[in-house]
Amino acid sequence: MNKNQKNVLIIGIILIAITLIYWYSQGAEVFTKTQVLVDKTTELDRMLGVENKQYIDQFVFGLLPSGTSSIIEITSTASIAGVVVLLTGILIYLFRNKRKETK
Amino acid sequence: MKKTLLIFAVLMIFTASIFAQGFKVKASGEQTFNFADNKNQATFFSTTPLEDITGLSNDVKGSVTFNVGDLKTLKGKVIVSVASIKTGIEMRDGHLQSAGWLNAESFPEISFEIKKVSDVKFAADNKLSAKVTGNYTMHGVTKEVTADATLTYLDESEQTKMRAAGDLLGVQAKFNVKLSDYGVNNKLVGQKVSEDIEVNVNIVGSNAK
Repeated sequence: MNKNQKNVLIIGIILIAITLIYWYSQGAEVFTKTQVLVDKTTELDRMLGVENKQYIDQFVFGLLPSGTSSIIEITSTASIAGVVVLLTGILIYLFRNKRKETK
Repeated sequence: MKKTLLIFAVLMIFTASIFAQGFKVKASGEQTFNFADNKNQATFFSTTPLEDITGLSNDVKGSVTFNVGDLKTLKGKVIVSVASIKTGIEMRDGHLQSAGWLNAESFPEISFEIKKVSDVKFAADNKLSAKVTGNYTMHGVTKEVTADATLTYLDESEQTKMRAAGDLLGVQAKFNVKLSDYGVNNKLVGQKVSEDIEVNVNIVGSNAK
C-alpha cells in the first residue's frame, strides 16, 4: 500500500468514525426517522385524565435507512458508510502503483 | 304485610342507590357524548427485536350514551380509521396499511363496541374507573375484549369551552390484543413484531348538541 492509498484509507476510517459518533449523539436510533412522537398533553387534558401524544416532523439520523422514496429516508449511518467504503475502494484502486511496461 | 312490602321496597331502592356507581356532577339523566375532535387518539404499541413501535391515529370517532348516575348503563362505539395510523416511518405506514397487514382497503376501520361495564370504582366525584367489555373488530375479525378504563366528567366551564362546548367526558382505556387472533401476520418490513399489541385510547367527547 503506497502513501496515497494509506491517506485515502485513513480519511475513510475517520469519516465513518465521525458518522458513527454523530449517529450516537443523535440518540442511536436504529432507523432514520422523519417524524418523532412528542408529548403535547395540556393542563385541560390532565384534568380530563387523558394523554395527548403527536407525531411531529423531525429528522432523526439512524443506523439504517427507513425507506427509498426520498434522500432523507436513505440518509443513515449505514448508507453513508457504504458510500465512503465504495469511494475509498475506488480511490485505493486508482492510486495503485502502475507497473512500467517493458518492451 | 303491607308494612313488610314497603320496608322491602325502601330497602331495594336504598341498596340500588348505593350500588349505582355514577358521577356526582351537575348534569343528571342520560347524556350522549360525541367524540369528533382531531386531538382524540388511539395508539397501538408493539415491540420488535430492534425497536419499539407506536402506531398513532388521530382519526378516532364515535359516541357513548349513559346515565350520569349509573356508569353501568354505558353504551356506544368508537371507530379508528386504519389509513390514519402513523408510525413515524412512511414506508412502515404503507406496509402497515397494506393487504399483508391490516389491509386498510378491505378493512378500513378498527372499532370497539361497548357491551357491558363492570367493576366500577369511585376515584373522585367526577372520576370513575371500570372494566369495559366490548366487541373489538380489527382486520374483519370481531372478538370480545375487556379494557381498563378511566372516565372523567367535567362540567362546562370557561376552560372546557377552549376544547369544545358542553360538558366534556375524558376516556382513557387500555387493553391488549393478540395479532394472530385477528388473522394478522406479525412480520412488519422484515421485522418480527411482538404478538401482543397494547391498545391505548385517549379521547374527549362533548355532550353539546
